[in-house]
Amino acid sequence: MDLKFSAEDEAYRQRLRAWLKENVGGGGGSVASAMKGGAAEEGDPLFAARAWPRKLHDAGYVGLAWPKEYGGQEASFTEQVICAEEMARVRTPPLINTIGLSIIGPTLVQHGTEEQKKRFLPRILRADDLWCQGFSEPEAGSDLASLRTRAVLEGDEFVVNGQKVWTSLAFLSDWMFLLVRTDADAPKREGISYLLCDMKTPGIKVRPLRNAAGGQHFSEVFLDDVRIPRENLVGKLHGGWSIARSSLDHERSGLSGVIALEETLGRLWRMAGRVERGSASALEDQSTRRALARHWIEIEGLRHLGFRTLSNQISGLPPGAGASVGKLFASEVRQEMTRTALGVEGPLAPIAKRSPHVVDRGRWHAAYFDALGHSIGGGTSEIMRNVIAEKVLGLPRALDD
Amino acid sequence: MDFKLSEEQQALQEIARDFLRERWPTSRMRDLLDDRPAVIDEDVWKEIVEMGWLGVAVSEQGGGIGGDVMTAAVLVEEAGRGVLPGPLQSSLVAAIAIDRSGDDGVLEQLLSELLEGKTRLTLAILEPTGLYGTDALETSLKEDSGEWMLSGRKILVPDAEGAEMLLVAARTPHGPGLVRVSSDAEGVALSRMERMDGQSCSEIVFDAVRVGPEALLGDTSRAAELLQEVCGIWTVLMAADLLGSAEGALELSRQYAIERVQFGRPIGTFQAVSHRLADTLVDVEIGRSLLYGACLALDEKRPDATALVSAAKAWLSEVAVGAAETALQVHGGVGFTWEYDVHLHLRRSRCNAPLLGDADFHRDRVAAYMEESWQPMKRQG
Repeated sequence: MDLKFSAEDEAYRQRLRAWLKENVGGGGGSVASAMKGGAAEEGDPLFAARAWPRKLHDAGYVGLAWPKEYGGQEASFTEQVICAEEMARVRTPPLINTIGLSIIGPTLVQHGTEEQKKRFLPRILRADDLWCQGFSEPEAGSDLASLRTRAVLEGDEFVVNGQKVWTSLAFLSDWMFLLVRTDADAPKREGISYLLCDMKTPGIKVRPLRNAAGGQHFSEVFLDDVRIPRENLVGKLHGGWSIARSSLDHERSGLSGVIALEETLGRLWRMAGRVERGSASALEDQSTRRALARHWIEIEGLRHLGFRTLSNQISGLPPGAGASVGKLFASEVRQEMTRTALGVEGPLAPIAKRSPHVVDRGRWHAAYFDALGHSIGGGTSEIMRNVIAEKVLGLPRALDD
Repeated sequence: MDFKLSEEQQALQEIARDFLRERWPTSRMRDLLDDRPAVIDEDVWKEIVEMGWLGVAVSEQGGGIGGDVMTAAVLVEEAGRGVLPGPLQSSLVAAIAIDRSGDDGVLEQLLSELLEGKTRLTLAILEPTGLYGTDALETSLKEDSGEWMLSGRKILVPDAEGAEMLLVAARTPHGPGLVRVSSDAEGVALSRMERMDGQSCSEIVFDAVRVGPEALLGDTSRAAELLQEVCGIWTVLMAADLLGSAEGALELSRQYAIERVQFGRPIGTFQAVSHRLADTLVDVEIGRSLLYGACLALDEKRPDATALVSAAKAWLSEVAVGAAETALQVHGGVGFTWEYDVHLHLRRSRCNAPLLGDADFHRDRVAAYMEESWQPMKRQG
């Protein structure tokens, strides 16, 4: 048993560190703030936001798991982990093409046609095309398979009608991958197809939604007689459900998330050292110290769970329970940490972000809201518990469908 | 990067699990609850000794297989799962303590007798002060007109009945250390305490017990370090026992949730049940990850070992009890009967949870580590 990376891996880490030191200024922030940075150039309001992923791509630090012929790196599992860890450590700016890199890209690598791979993958890597995910609908949230958006094949085109919702970054995306019902008579999981849709196609209307935190991140997308060429079908007709499921299986060890949590805990510790409790700081309060120690323990648990998952991957074994367990636990820990933070702020916790009296520039309010959203997006924690109960514990299925 | 059990460790795990299932049915433990203290059957113990389990973490020159803490943890976890009573855990720790205390002919002899099952040793750490940690020790080794005397009172000493030799944590002129005392020395008075899981434990009073200067384990410069090391290893093995309990309880719940039908369907289809078990599984997997991390850190003698040991113990102390309580609830009425095994796990984890430091004690140690390692960051502010 050991946790050491090989000499080659460590050399890779050192090269990456040096590159990051050279190329990353102040990190952090959101995709939305990245969009605001820099003036529009060449008529592209997102030029500045695309610059960072392009720089990464030129240096060979995106698409690590993808085949070389489509612009990927074919990097090892350990290199992928090191890359994610180091970027989290220096808090690299967010990637505006993250949905493309983490969801549709890997899906196309696995299920796309040769034409689709050649056409889309290089453009995802360079952030030329930004993607959004059209899965959820007003009547299909956790019960995704009951989605109603219809697609009817007319000649060489699908004609799509329906509505998608909670579509992250739809208002700036060039493309959407979406699930549609192509066979209304089949059992609900067997009548779904997976399509790729150019967002400039006539009949698409995007209406941004303001979220509970006050920000704009997701949208409603209305599709009215939208015509999608048949070549944009991924996989088989009516075979979309299993492809969508597999995109949920592109789970990793979660080790980069651990670095982010650790960084947050470090901030929380320093904040507690500044917040007053009478003549002492909150950090000298025993219950605060124990709460922070509990988070340290949880994060170390996640980190070592990640090492176990990674070790399985390296040995060619299935990742084990680690992936689903890690996702559920990480979102719980993240929420609990932000609750602790607001508790540490104490009487100052109610102060709004725009007030000059706010603690840490309102970071903890934002993190709190963000963390609450985290256990909903990409599968609620309740659905994750269903998955663990059925797939890991082997309990009988809760529902009959 | 290879953070999983080695093939040898996996094989040992399987052997131990199968052996205990066959030779130590849980009904045996239940019977012993009425017949305290619950001690392992002589013939089963003999087989365990013959299989060489006591030497898995002892060096080759000490007569063991040169294994590590991780391998000992594998065995103790199975003991927890199989509700096996002492003296496996205390013997493993005593063997490690002797093995690591340096070259000494007498100790080598003692260790080989221990590994062969001819002599039994145990350790006495906890005192009736209500405090954990070796800073709080009141038992002391003092020199008085050329003679060395051990005085103090220890409680919850495991498996002391039948042990010929005691390793006693005490304050000494060289700092806190472990002192070797014969259990039949003059001034040693043992009285039985009872654990609710039936396992053997005793109170021992040391009334000016005369010992030789060689009784302090390890040479004087290393005695304090050795005590810390042994406490760390014992703590992590206690965490391994708790992990075994937690998994044993979860497995009972899992089986029952599949078999038991109410409202016309298995109760495992109800999310009030299945989500509770999913949460337990998450807690157990995090616990296993922490345990492995702590064992490896100890084996590699890393500076974060103390904090990781505390992390594993703090986490598993609560998780094991929670898993058993969940099992009791999921089983409903039968979970509250003497005949079902749920209470065996609940009793064991409840007993082990506070030993060698409860969850709060270990969280305080983690906080101290955070303070130490994050001080530079704090200054940057």
